[in-house]
Amino acid sequence: MGTENVKNMDFFFNPSSVAVVGASGVPGKLSGIILASLLKSRFKGAVYPVNPKYTEVLGIACYPSIKAIGKEIDIAIFALPAALTPAAVKAAAGLAAGAIIVSGGFGEADGWEYESEIKTIAADSGMRVIGPNCMGIYDTLTRLDTFFIADERIKRPKRGGLSMVSQSGSFAITAMDELAADGLGVARIISYGNKADVNESDCLDFLAEDDATKAVALYIESVDDGRRFVEAAGRCSAQKPVMAVKVGKGAAGSSAARSHTGAIAGRPEIYSAAFKKAGVVELHGYEDFICGCKAYGIRNEPLECRGSRVMIITDGGGMGVGIADACVQAGLEVAAPSADVVERLSAIFPAYFSMGNPIDLTGSVTDEWYARSLEAAMSGDNYDIAIVAALWGPPNLTDDLAKLLAWKARESGKPVIICSPGGAYSRKKAKLFMKEGLPVFTTPEAAVRAAAVLARGAAGRRRAI
Amino acid sequence: MTASIELKETRPDLGVVKEILACGHKTLTEPQTLEILRAYSVPVPRFKVVGGVDEALEIAKGLRYPLVLKIVSHDIGHKTDVGGVTMGLRDKRDLQDAWSQMMLDIADDEPRAFIEGFLLEEMAPRGTEVIIGAIRDEQFGPAVMFGVGGIEVELIKDVAFRLAPVSRQEAFDMMNEVKGISLLTGWRGGGIKDFDAVVNAIMRVSDIICENDEINEIEIVYHEGAVAVDGRAVLK
Repeated sequence: MGTENVKNMDFFFNPSSVAVVGASGVPGKLSGIILASLLKSRFKGAVYPVNPKYTEVLGIACYPSIKAIGKEIDIAIFALPAALTPAAVKAAAGLAAGAIIVSGGFGEADGWEYESEIKTIAADSGMRVIGPNCMGIYDTLTRLDTFFIADERIKRPKRGGLSMVSQSGSFAITAMDELAADGLGVARIISYGNKADVNESDCLDFLAEDDATKAVALYIESVDDGRRFVEAAGRCSAQKPVMAVKVGKGAAGSSAARSHTGAIAGRPEIYSAAFKKAGVVELHGYEDFICGCKAYGIRNEPLECRGSRVMIITDGGGMGVGIADACVQAGLEVAAPSADVVERLSAIFPAYFSMGNPIDLTGSVTDEWYARSLEAAMSGDNYDIAIVAALWGPPNLTDDLAKLLAWKARESGKPVIICSPGGAYSRKKAKLFMKEGLPVFTTPEAAVRAAAVLARGAAGRRRAI
Repeated sequence: MTASIELKETRPDLGVVKEILACGHKTLTEPQTLEILRAYSVPVPRFKVVGGVDEALEIAKGLRYPLVLKIVSHDIGHKTDVGGVTMGLRDKRDLQDAWSQMMLDIADDEPRAFIEGFLLEEMAPRGTEVIIGAIRDEQFGPAVMFGVGGIEVELIKDVAFRLAPVSRQEAFDMMNEVKGISLLTGWRGGGIKDFDAVVNAIMRVSDIICENDEINEIEIVYHEGAVAVDGRAVLK
């Protein structure tokens, strides 16, 4: 089942041709936005607008039907009213390998009959269907972008290693916009909506084998075949970190989820148990999700975190203590440096320095102190994660700090999390770290959340293996 | 030890469940649940179901006081609430009194309940209770729950869940996950052996829910002395 599905879904992530059904140049129409962003995003394959009303849309030839294109199409995108969609999808069956239906008005809004027609067409024809009621795919490898929000409103992240799978479209775009603003990259984002055909397990099967994906973040309202999900997520988490947020926990939340994607929310504690079984890190809410994405998604390479031992390095004593407290509360270990670490530190610093955890570099700090203390603490097997809380008050700190820390972080092979709180000046400087590909958080709590996600991931994967 | 391994290898025959379903019942009474637990090598106290007080007094001779007397009826969900449980019966006089009082209480509170009999069991030493449950979830199938404390755990929701089948490691993790584990001072004193007994019970309850499609829910209260002291099950 697993391998079959991977093959079956592949073309969504390697399409050579895309048809946009109902495309028009009328400003504000979804199909028009999709067409425009496909043209703008430098999508590598052929793009065919389909609309019998036009011969040309946005300067390219428009076809009266998919059939009239005269070639087999990989993906047909539908942004039509629900009532018109089944007939249009049926007309594409056999001509297009897959369909992405972005329009709403289906199961989530009492349009069950349209949705079940779509299901039947998919089952009968073998055409794979993403949606309805979704954003579809944003892919930095193929440059496919069916997300129908103009990029003036929602920024597209650059290429990175994180892939996101979301039942909710608005959740996906908001998270993606936030990652883009922080300079983070993604590999593929799939918003699958009502899952008339393709569901989270299909996506996980694909992403498990996808070399471009180094970590996976899921947003889930409901899972239909729980055991298949556990298997698919378990296979994926054996390859790369997988984290998930499950919403719809209380009565109000779950009825909201039902009207949102027509989903039945289920028992939250059983979802948690399922995540544990599958080695999936459970995230608690949006902030956790973003922190997790930033922690794992920062580099275009697998980020291995082996445990929960945190070293805190700062030039602000109080900030360091606060981070230490937050770490302990989150179940992280903040152990004093062992003799060998102290020895390495003593070689760098004057004797009056207190070599604890946090390491307080004080107002005399220099870029080099930061870099060398990070190196001293993280070499050897004493700590798994470093949180560096760089406050920009000390006069000797320069813009080179970000580059130095990024270099030492890469060298250590361990996750290094930057906490850069403060006002206008600090915020500007925080961007330096982002540019260097380090995960940056503006509050100690958020930095610790990110560290905790990494540590839970390490524990979960140890268990599952 | 050998006996329990043998039992594990050949799946216990729970014909009793099919019979009960055939009678149109949707639940298992406590002695029926205890039978299943015993079949799955979960330690249970010595018990017997009796029809009336004379039989109870006769059977009690073969058991060790103190005893517990409980009403057995498919019509009564919460036995304790209607005076259907009396603990700490020290001798036959206690037993006789308890039976008389129970008959009066039940007549008051549950006059229409069909009484199938009385469960007479040896009382486990007092100590901390744990609750082990299993359910069949619509989306994820069988899952097992663990909590410290008796009925109160449902109130404070300090419980751990795992999807079944539950491995030994998972059972240990479940126990360590609940905050109430620190209440088990007796266990701490008792060391790894008692801990192990509970781990085993969690795994056996996992087996029960996995191997018996007819059972939708099962819940047992397990005592520090490492025996199941209460149990109920809901059928499909």
